[in-house]
Amino acid sequence: MNQQATTGQAFRATLKRDLIIAYKRKNDLVNPFMFFLIVATLFPIGISPGPDRLGEIAAGVLWISALLASLLAMDNLYRSDYEDGSLEQLLLSPHPLYFLVLAKNISHWLVSGLPVVLVSPLIAYMLNLPDAAYAALFITLLLGTPVLSLLGSIGVALTVGLGSRGLILAVITLPLSVPVLIAGTLTVQETLNGASLGGYLAIMGAMLLAALTLAPLASSAALRISVN
Amino acid sequence: MWLWFSKLGSPKWFYELSGRWLPWLVIPMALLLIVGIVWALLFVPPDYQQGNTIRIMYIHVPFASISLAFFPLMAVAGTITLVWRMKLADMVAKQAAPLGAWFTALALASGSIWGSDIWGTWWIWDGRLTSMLLQFFLLIGVISLRSALEDTDAAAKACAVLSIVGCINVFVIKFSVDWWNTLHQPAGDFSLSDEAANPPEVWVPLVIMIVAIYLFFAVSLILSTRNEILQRERRAQWVQELVEGH
Repeated sequence: MNQQATTGQAFRATLKRDLIIAYKRKNDLVNPFMFFLIVATLFPIGISPGPDRLGEIAAGVLWISALLASLLAMDNLYRSDYEDGSLEQLLLSPHPLYFLVLAKNISHWLVSGLPVVLVSPLIAYMLNLPDAAYAALFITLLLGTPVLSLLGSIGVALTVGLGSRGLILAVITLPLSVPVLIAGTLTVQETLNGASLGGYLAIMGAMLLAALTLAPLASSAALRISVN
Repeated sequence: MWLWFSKLGSPKWFYELSGRWLPWLVIPMALLLIVGIVWALLFVPPDYQQGNTIRIMYIHVPFASISLAFFPLMAVAGTITLVWRMKLADMVAKQAAPLGAWFTALALASGSIWGSDIWGTWWIWDGRLTSMLLQFFLLIGVISLRSALEDTDAAAKACAVLSIVGCINVFVIKFSVDWWNTLHQPAGDFSLSDEAANPPEVWVPLVIMIVAIYLFFAVSLILSTRNEILQRERRAQWVQELVEGH
């Protein structure tokens, strides 16, 4: 008889499994990233290609693009697992669902959020972001996109059983994401005005910690409701 | 106490009790509304700065203050639904969402009309306005989630989770947008303690209107919950007797 796996092992196994699946489905990996690039490209075309005005809105453009890309990628989080039944197995496992959901969220952020964060300085350069704001933008995206993933996970978990969930997911998730968007863009703005980064980053760090502790609880409750 | 609590969970009991309560709420509500509106619109002295526009306050402040109560209300009802599986709590939560959307919309609309005169603009991206708008979106999200889920039980629990998450978020939104950009005067402008700035003939009708609108809210919520009870319990014997009896 096999020895019982510990929760830590289950956490690592879920994380590894999701990363392997993401690696095998390269479309899902590339699409949110391309979506981010394309949305960011739409702003100069739609608003104004003038460098001065672009520089003013660059931080907001990047944040909104990252938010939309994270929303678009969210749907992959539980759907295929729901369809092939492995989500039910996850719910039946003896380990606390909190850690398994957290593992899924982390792997999801690693494949959909992190690439966006890493490419953001390049897009920021193309959008003529002032030099002083690069560090603030990068760090706020690094702290903020996981929060977006964790919040989005609640919305996906609530709607995973629905046939047409694209729009409803957006209606639920986007208003929830507003505080992160405000904190992120405000940090960049205030850095440009000469404020020190510390206090603002502390707020974002607090948001991240709160989301890490609370959001997976809500996600697991929502998953248990959606999967009867 | 627990007997009372489990009794409250019975839709039939609530239906009968609320039927007896209703006149005691409707009559004071009607009286206060009439007195409040007539007093506010005809007899309150015009403000030295805002003139007659100040009368919008008597509509706007009650609606704005009550619309902040909806998310906490839905979160409490949602918690009761999740913990004790009380059907009545979910009926209240279900009816509170559209009602909350209406109240929020009215607060936004009346504020916008007020602002068009005082600030010279119908809309401004100020902290309070934005947070009310986002609360409106969140309520729409709860309503659309409820309508998308066909199974009543699953819809009840899913909306309960969303209401609890949304409730936390409404406070965070409020805090963050205030921090972000603000123009709206603090509510303290109308503080009752500051009697020098606000003589009784200004604040007494405001208090009357606030109480009247709170009663209006209670009456609307009870009436729509009663409808919901009849609809969900339509196969129960007492509902059929009630319908056939009339």
